[in-house]
Amino acid sequence: MAIPVNGSVAGPSGLSFSAVQEAIKAGLYADLANIIDTLELEVSAAGASKPQDWPYAIQILAHVFNHDLNSARFVWKRTPDAVKQSNPELVAAWKIVQCMWMHDHAGVYAALRAYSWASDVQQVVAAVGEDYSHGMLKLLSTAYSTVSVVDAAAFLGLSENDVVTFTSQQHGWVLDPATKMLTVMPMVAAATKKTDSSQLQNLTEYVFHLEH
Amino acid sequence: MDSLDALVAQVQGFSGTDDLLHLFSLLKQSDELLHNHAPRLQYALSSLDPAKHSLGYLYLLEVQSSGTLSQEQSENFLALASTFLNVCIAEQICLAPEKFNMVCRRVKEQALQLQEPLRAILPLQAAIRKLQPSSEFLTAMHADFLQMCLLAKCYKASLSVLEDDIFEIDQKRTGLVPRDFLLYCYYGGMIHIGLKQFGKALEFFQHAITAPATVLNAITIAAYKKFVLVSLIQLGQVPLFPKYTPPVVQRNLKSCVQDYVDLATSYVTRNIADVKGYITTHEDAFKSDNNLGLARQVIASLYKRNIQRLTQTYLTLSLQDIADNVQLDGPKEAELHILQMIQDGEIFARINQKDGMVSFQEDPEQYNTSAMTMRLNLEIHNIVRLAKKLTSVDEQVSCDQVYLSKIGRDRPRYETEDFDIVPQKMYTNL
Repeated sequence: MAIPVNGSVAGPSGLSFSAVQEAIKAGLYADLANIIDTLELEVSAAGASKPQDWPYAIQILAHVFNHDLNSARFVWKRTPDAVKQSNPELVAAWKIVQCMWMHDHAGVYAALRAYSWASDVQQVVAAVGEDYSHGMLKLLSTAYSTVSVVDAAAFLGLSENDVVTFTSQQHGWVLDPATKMLTVMPMVAAATKKTDSSQLQNLTEYVFHLEH
Repeated sequence: MDSLDALVAQVQGFSGTDDLLHLFSLLKQSDELLHNHAPRLQYALSSLDPAKHSLGYLYLLEVQSSGTLSQEQSENFLALASTFLNVCIAEQICLAPEKFNMVCRRVKEQALQLQEPLRAILPLQAAIRKLQPSSEFLTAMHADFLQMCLLAKCYKASLSVLEDDIFEIDQKRTGLVPRDFLLYCYYGGMIHIGLKQFGKALEFFQHAITAPATVLNAITIAAYKKFVLVSLIQLGQVPLFPKYTPPVVQRNLKSCVQDYVDLATSYVTRNIADVKGYITTHEDAFKSDNNLGLARQVIASLYKRNIQRLTQTYLTLSLQDIADNVQLDGPKEAELHILQMIQDGEIFARINQKDGMVSFQEDPEQYNTSAMTMRLNLEIHNIVRLAKKLTSVDEQVSCDQVYLSKIGRDRPRYETEDFDIVPQKMYTNL
């Protein structure tokens, strides 16, 4: 067994990010965060330092996709300063996290579009953007009974005309042209209420436990 | 044959399960021998297989890593130790838990010396799993593992270990000391704060405060400071000490943390200006305890708490009134706060931007969806498991010799009509 005396590796290494690529291709963005984090721990335990082509931006965006801004912040905090200065893609991804953290919705969409991402990163960015605007729409429909067109446009990352067309056609919101306010229609959430025989098994066990 | 070579040969020969105890006693006596041959240990280690000769490898590794190490030696040791901790045989290393703990502690120290705490995370996690007879046991490595996760800022990596419920403390099998338990509670609480799980953080800090003690120690004091801040954020007030808190802690703890106790008194008045002023004047005290960030979160929680109180009095309120009531800067800021609380599920309301009004609503949860059913099932399952555990502990105590002798001795105090609780022979022979 070869014992590396000085185990650090720099530059592009033989480390394969194939699991990461496959997850992106299959659209399994929720699993990305776990895959990359585990890889990071394994690389470090082997005594190697991260190779130059380490997917920092994807790591941060993967946590954002899982709505885990805390973990995204920690990835940024443990990245060395030298990498932060030499990797503009990472800085652009961090800008997205910062805007989300400060609830600067217009800023989030601007940051998503501001950088020309690498092709695999672009897929993750698109998924993050879509998920974010969907979340914002849900928030608007639960939190507001009327909202101004200006604010709605900022929340959803659309222009004012687009947001009126989008909400009135797809969701039945009503525009009051005098005050430029949209009346919000609540979204109907499809809640599954079916029960099946496995519940019966659970109930039997609980009753048995309570009797004894 | 040289004595070190002889020892290596014995390790290779006796590592089968039948001769393991014999090998163990041989190794216990060879400490001095190993120290004398320190420069040749590297060669000896390379001729052993950590996956087969785990016990011997452990002893050699421990001696090789004692004393101060140069950077090269450090890297070497960490590489060997990482592989060893991953592949060693649990039955072999369980014979020498103190040595195993020592090696793991050295792994942590060397990783810190090289300023690469990230490196120690997976090896220490493997070590915990190897030493634990089951996931319910606490080991000495839990605290070190959590500390590495904190320093490396890899909070999520600690979750698999942190989420295990600990039921058993066994000093003989794990070589645990009270300090390890206190540090486990303290670091565990800090990780939960980092993950914004304040309820769980409170549990951990409470364990640290209520641990049996005869003197006050620095870990308990530090844990109590964080406990005060987290309970203000989570509960709005600091709960009283539970009955099982050690008397020395109950009497003396509050006087060591006067700043925090005063902050708690100020918080209960719900006056934002007072609380903010207090934290600004005592900023240095909080900063020196690394609690300034937490103190700022206390202020944020007070805004939320004041807004929540409004929902209990009003059905609708204008944004301007909310801003005045809660001492915010204006209706826009009030709107942002309320929106954030709606998003986090802390409040149920609808904002009417046209009129600048907010109408507060009831929780729309009907508890009739399949997601809610699954969650209920999980909670009930956990409670059933806990109840079964409690019954088995109760049975264990009922059969315990010391307990029975105490009950038996008190027997004359009871009525003579009572049936024989404890047969006389159980306690008269003591």
